[in-house]
Amino acid sequence: MITALANFIFVEPWPFWTGGLVIGLLVPLLYYYHNTALGVSTGYGNLVKIILPSRQLQWIKSEFSETWSWRIYFIAGIILGGFISARLAGRPLIIPEMGQFTIIVGWPALLNALYFFAGGTLLGLGARIAGGCTSGHSIHGIANLHLSSIIVTVLFLAGGAAAANIVRALFMGGGI
Amino acid sequence: MGKKTGIFGFGILFGFALSRVGASEFDLIFNMFTGTDFKLAWVMLTAILVGFLGMRLLQAKRMTTRSGQPIKISHKKLGRFSLLGAVLFGIGWGMAGACPGTVLAQLGEGKIYALFTFSGMIFGTYIYARLKENTTEL
Repeated sequence: MITALANFIFVEPWPFWTGGLVIGLLVPLLYYYHNTALGVSTGYGNLVKIILPSRQLQWIKSEFSETWSWRIYFIAGIILGGFISARLAGRPLIIPEMGQFTIIVGWPALLNALYFFAGGTLLGLGARIAGGCTSGHSIHGIANLHLSSIIVTVLFLAGGAAAANIVRALFMGGGI
Repeated sequence: MGKKTGIFGFGILFGFALSRVGASEFDLIFNMFTGTDFKLAWVMLTAILVGFLGMRLLQAKRMTTRSGQPIKISHKKLGRFSLLGAVLFGIGWGMAGACPGTVLAQLGEGKIYALFTFSGMIFGTYIYARLKENTTEL
């Protein structure tokens, strides 16, 4: 019984509702315990400040007065959570592939790296212009019935669907 | 327990959940966008519903935190370019098969290419900071 429960939590992939339950609960829990909105992408501004401490950028100076704010601790926690999950599930320490993508496209590593860097750049820039990301807008914002978050999320999904289908058609021979 | 320690703990729970449910799997995100597997869409819908019900519960408690402070809900208004930003974000989401939260779980799982998605996100945020030097519109 206990083995089966431990297996369900730590080894087998969770069914959708388990993940949805835990992630959704973070919205009220973060408000209740820390009066804080669930959100990740703003913390990347803290990372810019940590990496480039001598750059006197006005937006960084005014919005990120506390360099090592709680947002950095949230980011560090998420990384550690992913690490713990992979260890308990018995995954390899280093995973050189990115799903089926790197296998099917068959690009050299440098091209893969550039591709993911480009995707990341759009994510970082887009999140700041849109005022949030999947957690801040799509989960937190819609759970609070914010119309702006609903509109932004529809466009997140539209952009994602367009990009994935174009990438699949161009580079993956319609695969995955 | 201090705020930073507490939020570090919630971060661990968040990263663990993202990883366990497969939100950090490139294939699951990609397949949602190409319409072949909607597991992560169900994860998001469930999370929104649970979050909504949890906020109702807080409203029943007169919207106060555990220490009795009034809760201040963060509400992001749309700016002039927000919709363009949302589309750019979406394209990055579909390309990289990750978002700003799930890439962190990918890093913890030891996915090498997540390092590049992650670096790109910091670079994209830096570009935003540079653009903000010259305009107040963003």
